[in-house]
Amino acid sequence: MRFMRQVSNLLDDEHRASISLLDRVDRALAGRDEVALKELAQPLVRQLEHEVTRHFRFEEQHLFPRMDEAGDGDLAALLAEEHDTLRAVAEELLPLARRLSGGALAAPDRTTLMRLANEMVERQVAHIQKETMALLPMLDDLLDDDSDRELAFAYAADA
Amino acid sequence: MTAPPPSGPAAGKTPARAAVRAPLGGTFLSGAGGRLLPASLPLRFFGAAVVFHLLAWLVVLITAAQWPQWRGGLGPPLAALHLVTLGTLAASAIGASLQLLPVATRQPLQQLRLIAALWWVFVPGVALLTFGMGTASPVLLAAGAVAVIAALLVFGVLLGLNLRGARGMPGVVAHGWGAVAALLVLLGSAAALVALWSGHSVLDRDAARGLHLLAGVFGFMGLLALGLTHVLLPMFALGRVPPDREQLIQAALAGAAILAGGAAALGLGRPTWLNGAATVLGGAALALHLHLVRGVLATAMRSDLGRSGRLMRVGWAGLGLTLLLALVRPATQGDQPWGLLFGAAAVAGWLLTFLFGVLQRILPFLVSMHAAQGRRRPPTPAALTLELPLVWHLRCHLLALAALAGGLASGSADLIRLAGLVGALGAAAFALFFQVLMRRMRDATATPAGERRLEKK
Repeated sequence: MRFMRQVSNLLDDEHRASISLLDRVDRALAGRDEVALKELAQPLVRQLEHEVTRHFRFEEQHLFPRMDEAGDGDLAALLAEEHDTLRAVAEELLPLARRLSGGALAAPDRTTLMRLANEMVERQVAHIQKETMALLPMLDDLLDDDSDRELAFAYAADA
Repeated sequence: MTAPPPSGPAAGKTPARAAVRAPLGGTFLSGAGGRLLPASLPLRFFGAAVVFHLLAWLVVLITAAQWPQWRGGLGPPLAALHLVTLGTLAASAIGASLQLLPVATRQPLQQLRLIAALWWVFVPGVALLTFGMGTASPVLLAAGAVAVIAALLVFGVLLGLNLRGARGMPGVVAHGWGAVAALLVLLGSAAALVALWSGHSVLDRDAARGLHLLAGVFGFMGLLALGLTHVLLPMFALGRVPPDREQLIQAALAGAAILAGGAAALGLGRPTWLNGAATVLGGAALALHLHLVRGVLATAMRSDLGRSGRLMRVGWAGLGLTLLLALVRPATQGDQPWGLLFGAAAVAGWLLTFLFGVLQRILPFLVSMHAAQGRRRPPTPAALTLELPLVWHLRCHLLALAALAGGLASGSADLIRLAGLVGALGAAAFALFFQVLMRRMRDATATPAGERRLEKK
């Protein structure tokens, strides 16, 4: 799915990368594939530390206020609530993912990691569903060429 | 680097401007939180559907010996059929459309007490009607029919009012209007059949039966299923919503097929040609539908829909088989067993299978949305779902369909009994899934301890 705005496409690309990573984590969890899970731990840490934080912050600072002004405050509030929930899950998951990427995890911690990773997968997918189906098409209307270019540049510079 | 403030085009947009844009499936997701009915309203209809579904298979199991001789009159097979069509399919359609359409059409429902009262008229009405059919009691049948027709008329009015104010999603709305029109024909033909069984001839029996089957299966339920797929599938799979134009063409093809079939049932023109035209138009509508489905899945981020997707695919195959049987029927010079197979393929193969594919996905989602209200970390759909019963339901449902088809084709009561047994086991498994879902919703919304229990599941 391609959108008219650069910002929409940037966010969409990140969503696709995120879904792809989460799907791999999901498969590794479902198949109890310890080797794959360990390999995925570092990319997952990177995503939780960097991508999620940056992506959420950008949307909250630059997109949600525009949605609110355009009369879509309900959706913006819903997405912001989901960001808070995802941050809470990420906060618990991140230390375990870091320890997994650095070496072995004790059995109880591994069980907790699997539970939290499963929860992260499901919540992220549901959140991305909402953004892809509702927020990104909306940006075609909310942004004009100039603001789209400036926002896309600002987002790229924040990487 | 500082990004520009939220000004420019956004600043000048009004809510009305925002409302006319983006007729996407995502409006369901974005609006669902704000337009959720109280949980008890849609869920009571889904709960009734789950119970009636189990009852239907139990009737098949207990009365299998009577099925090979059945020719469409009063008796247990007719009761079982209506436990599926009215009790399971229509009850689910009411629950789903009351919940989904207000969000898809961006029109909130106001008449909450009326919807609650509707259940109290509809569900006992279906119980009475099917009991009257099963025991060949015209008085009970008529009493039940009055209640069911009244309830469905009220539902039709609610649906029509909602569609009248619809904004966006013209394809879904067109299918909805077709379903409303078909509902009126369905209720009219039902009244004519009840009058016939009570000794009053209003309409020729075969014409009334033909219209009833067509309007109920293909019109009311079929159009709702085809239309709502364009809301649900893009949401499940994260794919592109089919273009409005194609959705409208699909609605027109399906509507034309139903009109041609209706004209044939009334004996207008040359019924053989009209039935043939109906089948061809129906085939074109199905081909376009599958093309649009493929388009959604081709752009989907998550095209593997799991068990739910497998059931939906079997459902579409059931519709294809139904249309093939419609082509074969005229050449068979009689109703047996082709008429029964045609009905079974349409009702059980297509609609029932498709419905359970959708229900097992939409119910946990809906419950999680309700459980989310006011919660810092609401339960996920997976945490609310007990998976194992759904695995058993899938296996049992497919085996029951095969046994039913074999039993009807060969006139074997034993195979029909097997279908009843296995179908009832599958229905019981689905009922267990639903019961656990309700219990977990109560746990999640009742206490923080319950919420924690769910987090660990």
